[in-house]
Amino acid sequence: MSESPKISRRGFLKVAGGVAIAAGAGIPGTAGAKEPRGAATLIDIGRCDGCPNYEIPLCVAACRERYLSRVPEPVDPIPKLFPRGKVEDWSKRKNVFDRLTPYNRIYVQKAAVSGDGKVREFHIPRRCMHCDHPACATLCPFSANKKHENGAVVIDPDLCFGGAKCRDLCPWAIPQRQSGIGLYLHILPTLAGNGVLFKCDLCHERIEKNELPVCVAACHREVMTFGPREAVFAEAEKRAAETGGFLYGKNENGGTSTLYLSPVPFEKLNGVIEKGPGKPHFDPVKPRMAETNALAKAVLLSPLVGLAAAWFGTAVAASGSEDGKGGK
Amino acid sequence: MEERVLERKGLVVRHSLLERIEHWAVALSGLVLVATGFFELPVARRYFITEIPGLGWSGDYITSLNIHYAASAVFIAAALFHLVHHGLLRHDGMVPRRGDLRASVEVIRTFFGKGEEPPFDKYLPEQRLAWAGMAVIMALLILSGLVKTWKNLVDPQMSPALVLTATWVHNGAFLLFILAFAAHIGALILKPNRPMVRSIFTGGVRLDYARKRHPLWMSRLEGESRDPDKGKKEG
Repeated sequence: MSESPKISRRGFLKVAGGVAIAAGAGIPGTAGAKEPRGAATLIDIGRCDGCPNYEIPLCVAACRERYLSRVPEPVDPIPKLFPRGKVEDWSKRKNVFDRLTPYNRIYVQKAAVSGDGKVREFHIPRRCMHCDHPACATLCPFSANKKHENGAVVIDPDLCFGGAKCRDLCPWAIPQRQSGIGLYLHILPTLAGNGVLFKCDLCHERIEKNELPVCVAACHREVMTFGPREAVFAEAEKRAAETGGFLYGKNENGGTSTLYLSPVPFEKLNGVIEKGPGKPHFDPVKPRMAETNALAKAVLLSPLVGLAAAWFGTAVAASGSEDGKGGK
Repeated sequence: MEERVLERKGLVVRHSLLERIEHWAVALSGLVLVATGFFELPVARRYFITEIPGLGWSGDYITSLNIHYAASAVFIAAALFHLVHHGLLRHDGMVPRRGDLRASVEVIRTFFGKGEEPPFDKYLPEQRLAWAGMAVIMALLILSGLVKTWKNLVDPQMSPALVLTATWVHNGAFLLFILAFAAHIGALILKPNRPMVRSIFTGGVRLDYARKRHPLWMSRLEGESRDPDKGKKEG
């Protein structure tokens, strides 16, 4: 039999405790120990007039021009799903502008807020918030949805199965599904998957080339300010302090890279906007991913627990018996 | 409790209490991981699993992730304990040996009435191969799962290539784990193997079965038992 490790119980506990504390100290206390990186957008609601002289707001038109043709035509007929049979087909309703759809990844929400005997109209461009800790991306079962270094949360249509888990996890239910396209058609079209989810990708390819997202570039009133995160956040805070405005998106869902600046409180806007599928709210949003932090840390520590227990168990076995060897 | 002959009870101890705890920690946490792994796919609502009494939570991805994490912590700790503890004690009975692949084919043929079984050691050659196969699958699951957990907790902006690799290794190993589990259960259904099943619950197998089917193990064990410096024999 080989030489047994000599470990005293007290010595073991000291070392194991030290290892656990050291390892625990190395694991961040909250999600996102690494600071969020990349770009951010400030959307100044007070500046948006909804482009009254245009059929479609310019930001929406620019987005549609870039992305409309990127959604493939679905197969006809779209396979019926087992067992629920539910498909989502927007291909015959491409001209819907008053909500988010696979073809309409930004839209302008309207709000009429009463106060001081007056009614004030607001126009609010709505699209993906590009969260700092996006559960839609981190929990995508196929990693089709990813948070990039530049801050954009991007769905890869070639990898998406269309299960819409990202929409379920998104506090604003932003991603929109087109059935009858994508990878699932080649695998188990009636049993698994249901198309591809689409949403704003922050013009990921353009910002990689230091170009502005098309919605930002198209706006004639500079409603959106796009740039490095620190600079945009500083500008948002400065404007909010100067105007007594309100910010949304800084802390929602654990932080996002889209800040809305409003001259009126968001509860008021939220009370009057039309909400529902494809029409996101302005509710406060708690980060649900944070609910998993404690157990995620336990997972990261579990190899050390296993190793420490093995060391302890081996020491006990080796000191208590000399018949450890055999056909085990 | 080490392996030993309990002559009066007609049993031989095949699995110690510690080994049974290791096995059931991995097996039960593994089953929870398979179930919650499925629930992390968008299937629970689609297939009405959420409507099964007691499984309403299965459609909530955060709840099933928390359960998946809890089971992972047990699975990883138990797997590493098993590997390191038995490795340090040189318990190499389950490590594949030269010729195990060929021997396994011959043994499987005997299950279908072709030829006769060779005398076995404590473990059958296919059990040793299955252990190694499961170890590789579990290593893939654990390593890729740790990368995914780190991404979820610490760095959501981790390299997309690394995230994609970890995800598909995890998904592929998940399928292999289910297949390996099915093969494990399938092997236990085979009649010649059934007497072994009781030891994973109680620790012991019948002495007459062990002497007949595992003579290499028994001769070593009983040989050691006759030498008081090497082992014990009760009865």
